[in-house]
Amino acid sequence: MLAYTLRRLIAFVPTLLAASALVFLFIHLIPGDPASILLGDTATPEEIAALNQQLGFNEPIYVQYFLWLGNVLQGDFGTSVFFRQPVLSVIADGAETSIWLATMTMCWIVVIGIPIGILSATRQGTWIDQVTSGFAMLFASIPTFWLGLYLILIFAVGLGWFPTSGFPSLSDDGGLWNLRYLLLPSLTLAAPNAALIVRLVRASMLDVQREDHVRTARAKGLSPSRVAIRHVFRNALIAVAAAFGFTFAALVSEAVVTETVFSLPGIGRLVVQSILRRDYPVIQGVILIIVVLYMVINLLVDLSYARLDPRVSLK
Amino acid sequence: MKINKVWKSTLAMGFALTLSGAAFAEGTFRYATVGEPPSLDQHVITSDLATTIAHHMFEGLYTFNASNAPVPLLAAGDSLEDGGKTIKIDLRKDVKFHNGQAMTSADVVASLNRWGEFGSRGGLLFSNVESLTASGDHQITIKLKAPFGPWKNLMAFINGGPAIYPASVMNGATKEPLDPKEYIGTGPYQFGEWLPNRHVELVRNDAYTSAAGAADGYGGERKAEFDALRFIPVSDVGTRVSGIRAGDYDYAESIPGDLFADLDGDANVTTILNGGPIFGLAFMNSKHGPLKENFKLRRAIQTAINKTPALQVAIGPEKLWAANGSFLPKGNVWHTEAGTANFSKGDAEAAKALAKEAGYAGDPIKVMVSTNYPFHYDTAIVYTKQLAQAGFNIDLQVYDWATLIKKRAQPDQWDIFFTHHGFVPDPILISVMNDNYPGWWATPEKAALKAKFTASADPEERKKIWSDIQALIYEQVPTMKTGDVYTYNIASPKVKGLGSSTLIWPAFWNVSK
Repeated sequence: MLAYTLRRLIAFVPTLLAASALVFLFIHLIPGDPASILLGDTATPEEIAALNQQLGFNEPIYVQYFLWLGNVLQGDFGTSVFFRQPVLSVIADGAETSIWLATMTMCWIVVIGIPIGILSATRQGTWIDQVTSGFAMLFASIPTFWLGLYLILIFAVGLGWFPTSGFPSLSDDGGLWNLRYLLLPSLTLAAPNAALIVRLVRASMLDVQREDHVRTARAKGLSPSRVAIRHVFRNALIAVAAAFGFTFAALVSEAVVTETVFSLPGIGRLVVQSILRRDYPVIQGVILIIVVLYMVINLLVDLSYARLDPRVSLK
Repeated sequence: MKINKVWKSTLAMGFALTLSGAAFAEGTFRYATVGEPPSLDQHVITSDLATTIAHHMFEGLYTFNASNAPVPLLAAGDSLEDGGKTIKIDLRKDVKFHNGQAMTSADVVASLNRWGEFGSRGGLLFSNVESLTASGDHQITIKLKAPFGPWKNLMAFINGGPAIYPASVMNGATKEPLDPKEYIGTGPYQFGEWLPNRHVELVRNDAYTSAAGAADGYGGERKAEFDALRFIPVSDVGTRVSGIRAGDYDYAESIPGDLFADLDGDANVTTILNGGPIFGLAFMNSKHGPLKENFKLRRAIQTAINKTPALQVAIGPEKLWAANGSFLPKGNVWHTEAGTANFSKGDAEAAKALAKEAGYAGDPIKVMVSTNYPFHYDTAIVYTKQLAQAGFNIDLQVYDWATLIKKRAQPDQWDIFFTHHGFVPDPILISVMNDNYPGWWATPEKAALKAKFTASADPEERKKIWSDIQALIYEQVPTMKTGDVYTYNIASPKVKGLGSSTLIWPAFWNVSK
């Protein structure tokens, strides 16, 4: 497994180079530039060109790319054109929100999605199955912005239990208590994903239930709950684990709408704002880090297969 | 028993933290903004959001009173000599920067020089400046090549205007906006922190010395009541409104017209109209394409359009817009009806006849608009329909704002583009008066009138010349005004001292809660 992991890590290098080159090229192909956004509507083309020159954005794209790459290899991701802060510092600030949001969301998905999925599968065809499947379909279909706004209206404006928006850092006044700011956003983000996990757990368990070893376990007189958890659910976990991996990675991009509705200072909103403002250093830095995140999560998912299923060997 | 103790301690800690958070919020004014400003450097940035934040930190020599007349702020007084060609400005001696350093003429000269060379609006004045010198520790002298009527209005307009920074900050400063650590001004609040995507925070300047006199517009006494002003980016309008209703914010900006009736009647929300209306503009290309020097064809386009339906669609409630052809609103000293008979005719048949006379043969007219500003887009959709009814072949091109700005700099890419303009206290600041602004209106008739307009220092004569310029705009149609838009903000009813409308940008000195 160690050799496999090392090989996969080495394979990251060409993937990252290709991804960084593509991102750099595509961003610079979009019309617009940071200087024109910075200087506003009254700036003349000459003034915009002069500032772009000063900021180094008038160099040929390949020159800009190799300069940027050289700096990145030394750990310098550049400075945000708008925030005047190192890109890594800007990303780190957004990452705190995104990591906590994703973690809380995953907790909701596990706590809600798996038990209901198991319940639905073990009560197949009953009214419980119909109700849980119906709700799963409903929450999978509700747009997150709509759900978010209604959660705000009910629990923040109406009942006043939670803040409407924002997320102070855990290092600010309030400490861990600040996590209450993420309760409604994480529920909003979890709802469609938990619904999908419910459906996935149900479908996987129903598949496994038809297999011979389950019939054998039942014939041996094991209790229904023992059969469901030890023999059915465990074997259904491989598909669920893969889905969890991709869900966690996808949360970064899916969170854009939720972060906008709840005004959270996360990575998703940062990358969208940076694209609209053509803050090239931030866009390049964020996307590179998201690519790394996806690759690491994929690797972890592959490694988890071997752990969950002894028949799988990683070579 | 043990678990019970832990549970009780946790609850107590949570309660204490909630209380401490509430106590902190008492002294902090929380403003929900639509986004983040590009920078707060007032010399080079013209974003209204930047000025909304920055004018609490940075001050100029002059500002505007409630009648939009310039009044001294960091200046103590001034005198004109040599027929208006020499301006001597005395400075207040009690002004200190946020770093504790006293303001002297060296700081003012350094700031004005940087603004004149690199500032967004400085070139207008400094193209006419022969010399700028410190004629004493607290006096500067500006020698002009010729008398320049709008000098004091330009000095008083802080947006893209001559904020006064310490000379040490101005050393080596160029067009590139200043770094936040160089945000050192003289205002009642000083820079605290800028956390990307979280907030910009200003903290009270306890050493502030205010200008004398009762508060009048932006002039007179300025008293900082809050410990801090926190400007929080909340891009979703629903969240801004909910945040005010839930008490999470004290003030929220840029609320759409379709919510006005609901919010105006809500006792838990105060609505505040922005007194200086913004106005949409559709610029025509004077450098390239079918509209170049074809004033008759431009007038045909102008004649085809009825502005009222577009304002109804784009803005909504009648209280929030005015189909006003004058570039400055009713009640303003620069308001004039000159040329406005052609503002909103909406006569398709007359337009067809004019277009035929102008030699229009159905060639596509490229119209650029951005969806970043929904009211631009809605207006463009209504105009496109009206122009099609008058026989025009409109090629509507929809972009994001950054792309539109890039393309409009290329004369062969467009014929008309939509933008909007903030309220300005002097017509010389309207973008169509700038020959280099995309559209590039620089006819000899304009040049002659503009020269007279800037040379005159007589207010009545300047008003008359502005009337002539506005009439010329309706004749040569370098741009079409789409109407006045009164944007509005909302606040918690707990906030005192806001008034029912803002002058130009909201100001939070002399405001409390």
